[in-house]
Amino acid sequence: MDIPPDRRCRSLVAVPAYNETATIRAVIDAVRANLPDCDVLVVDDGSRDEAVAALSGSGAVVATHLCNLGYGHAIQTAVLYATRLGYDRLITLDADGQHDPAQVRGLLTEFDSGRWDILIGSRYVVQRKYDGVPLGRRLGMQLFSTLVGLLAGHRIYDTTSGLKIIGRRAFVPLTRWHFIDFHAEALVYLMRLGFRIGEFPITVRERRHGPSMYSALSHVKYPLKTILMLLLGVVHADLSRRRAS
Amino acid sequence: MTFAGVLLGVAIGIVLLSWVMNLIGRDRLYVGYGVIFVFGTLVAMTVLIVPPLLDAVTRASVRLLPVPSLSIVALVIFTFLMVYVFTQITVLSNRVMRLAKELAIRNAQQEGDVERRAAERR
Repeated sequence: MDIPPDRRCRSLVAVPAYNETATIRAVIDAVRANLPDCDVLVVDDGSRDEAVAALSGSGAVVATHLCNLGYGHAIQTAVLYATRLGYDRLITLDADGQHDPAQVRGLLTEFDSGRWDILIGSRYVVQRKYDGVPLGRRLGMQLFSTLVGLLAGHRIYDTTSGLKIIGRRAFVPLTRWHFIDFHAEALVYLMRLGFRIGEFPITVRERRHGPSMYSALSHVKYPLKTILMLLLGVVHADLSRRRAS
Repeated sequence: MTFAGVLLGVAIGIVLLSWVMNLIGRDRLYVGYGVIFVFGTLVAMTVLIVPPLLDAVTRASVRLLPVPSLSIVALVIFTFLMVYVFTQITVLSNRVMRLAKELAIRNAQQEGDVERRAAERR
């Protein structure tokens, strides 16, 4: 029996994009083809290229930041949008074409089991090691995965994955606290608040167009900032829980 | 440096650290600025606490740039002022960010409404 439209789980696919003209249209078309029952929001994070023009007629709604605010804030805009329009879950995907929207179906099935508040599409949860990843990045991933395990009691192997499903229950805390990139610091904060976060195996394609959002300097600043926010997140979450109880 | 001087330095470091961490936690100081103060203060405190390090830094600094020790007071005041200035920049930047997000969401909502109406007409 078909579920009536007003009783169906409403899903929003959010794609944060910054200077991704080369790939954004193909990504949105693939999302529309694979997830026809989901609405699509592109958060244009102050792109200087023609990303918005490339989306004309794609069926995606575009939220444009007047200036570049960063990945974490683009995600927060998507969460705020989803909250205001009453969506039940938010699916985030990268705009560079690394994620195959066809794999989201598997994640949705797992998410609908009700075991998770947030489900991460993970590149490393099966092998549990970072083979083939450049040394610096591998060390960072190991460090943050271990820190998440120590601080939250449950290890997450892919803390930087851009493919996530976020349930409605997690919307409010995600807009109240400030994050850098919605990676390890956000995961620890949410887990300390009692949210259940899991991983589901996916594969990703190599990035083919344009530079990554991480510059050379950010390889030094990112770990320091994230460690600081991890510690503050733990304190903030514990205080919030204590106040609530 | 005398023992009292080291104690005073460490005390100032702890006050600065607590202030900066509190500001970051309340989103009044951007973590990218805060991280510079936090790790800078931690390094300075480590130098103060470890005698061989303090001796080495003192010897090197006197040789390179002999300055009266009173200039350290000016440096401390300057650091606290810098934290305050960065806090004001962060507050302003947060307001701009909130505005930018709000505008983006409202425009997207309007765009979504137009598309929905067009789809209904079809």
